[in-house]
Amino acid sequence: MKTKYMDTISILLIAGVLSVVGNTIGYKHPWDIALVGYLILVVITLLGMALADFLPIKLPMVFWISVIAIFSTCPVSPIDKTVLFYTSKMDFLALTTPILAYAGLSVGKDLPMFKTMSWRIVVVALAVYTGTFVFATIIAEMVLRMQGLI
Amino acid sequence: MILKNWRIHAWVLVIVVICEFMGTQKIPLGPGVLLFLPMLYAMVIGGIVSWPRLKLIKLEEMNASSKALSLLALLLVTKLGVLIGPAIPKLLQAGPALTLQELGHFLGTVILGLPLALLLGIKREAVGATFSIDREPNIAIIAEKYGMDSPEGRGVMAIYICGTVFGAVWLGLLAGYLGAMKIFHPFSLAMGAGVGSGSMMAAASGAIKAIFPEYGDQILAYAGASNLLTTVGGIYFCLFVSLPVTNYLYKKLLPILGREKDKEAAK
Repeated sequence: MKTKYMDTISILLIAGVLSVVGNTIGYKHPWDIALVGYLILVVITLLGMALADFLPIKLPMVFWISVIAIFSTCPVSPIDKTVLFYTSKMDFLALTTPILAYAGLSVGKDLPMFKTMSWRIVVVALAVYTGTFVFATIIAEMVLRMQGLI
Repeated sequence: MILKNWRIHAWVLVIVVICEFMGTQKIPLGPGVLLFLPMLYAMVIGGIVSWPRLKLIKLEEMNASSKALSLLALLLVTKLGVLIGPAIPKLLQAGPALTLQELGHFLGTVILGLPLALLLGIKREAVGATFSIDREPNIAIIAEKYGMDSPEGRGVMAIYICGTVFGAVWLGLLAGYLGAMKIFHPFSLAMGAGVGSGSMMAAASGAIKAIFPEYGDQILAYAGASNLLTTVGGIYFCLFVSLPVTNYLYKKLLPILGREKDKEAAK
């Protein structure tokens, strides 16, 4: 358990340096404020992971992390302004670039299997991803219009 | 552990610097635009670097990279969470839309994917392939029900692999293209982007945000809320509704859409 958290923390910190570098180049945010913002995100993430590990109720990590993150900035939170000030300087898109670089760098392990697959299943995969995105969008559009929200 | 795999982080640093310097590019195509975000280049460059024949990185480094990916996806969830907080009153207002559009997420895979798979001559694999978006929690459902050596198991794995290889790139381009066509409101697209996979959601919502910069963080709040519902609700919905529905439709549709010999067998 202890080594698991040590690994987790070190990966999060290394990725933090990479994210702040990209954030400074691509989005021109001050690096020191962004770094504090990143560290706040790390603390919330670790708290959520700890809750998922130690609470007897079995709910996914994503749930606990979201609960703490949402609570920290919701209108009744005493620290919402502070958290938002710092984390807003750590751009969402700057976070995604290193994440997808890691995703790309892990693709090689799946490529041998990918090459053995038929083109048919690739077409089906495109339909699956398109279907889930487009149908949800259509329903959202209809309901939002009916409610008069857009 | 970290020191052993330092090369992978060095690669990411190089890729991030290159990609952020290249910046966002838009290429008009038909009624929409092809939107290329830094994260898209990052995925593609990373994929090329990890190409086994180039021997630039080792298999264990790819595994370490995959581990870093799943961890950092959680950090993205946190970032979305802090954006959701201030938007809570607005999100509650849009509650009906947020809830109902989940049906699109959970059943959209089957509606489009299953008939197509049957037309292409795919059989029981089609059930595993199309009952959900086929990320890790969905694989667990199939593994428990059918085992991974079954046709259903092969189907779910195949789509999972496709998702890792090109899911994010596809959704990023699709969302950018649909967004630029201005048929849908950015909030609807944002909800649609919450497909339940960290990297695909990031690519899709990032693209929508780039097309509609004036809505910025609101787009991410809607996408994040929708993605949270898809991820948490999906575990139960896919097991109790999506999978039975897919099996039912498979039985009904195979005699109509399947190959001739399968039609006979299904009668």
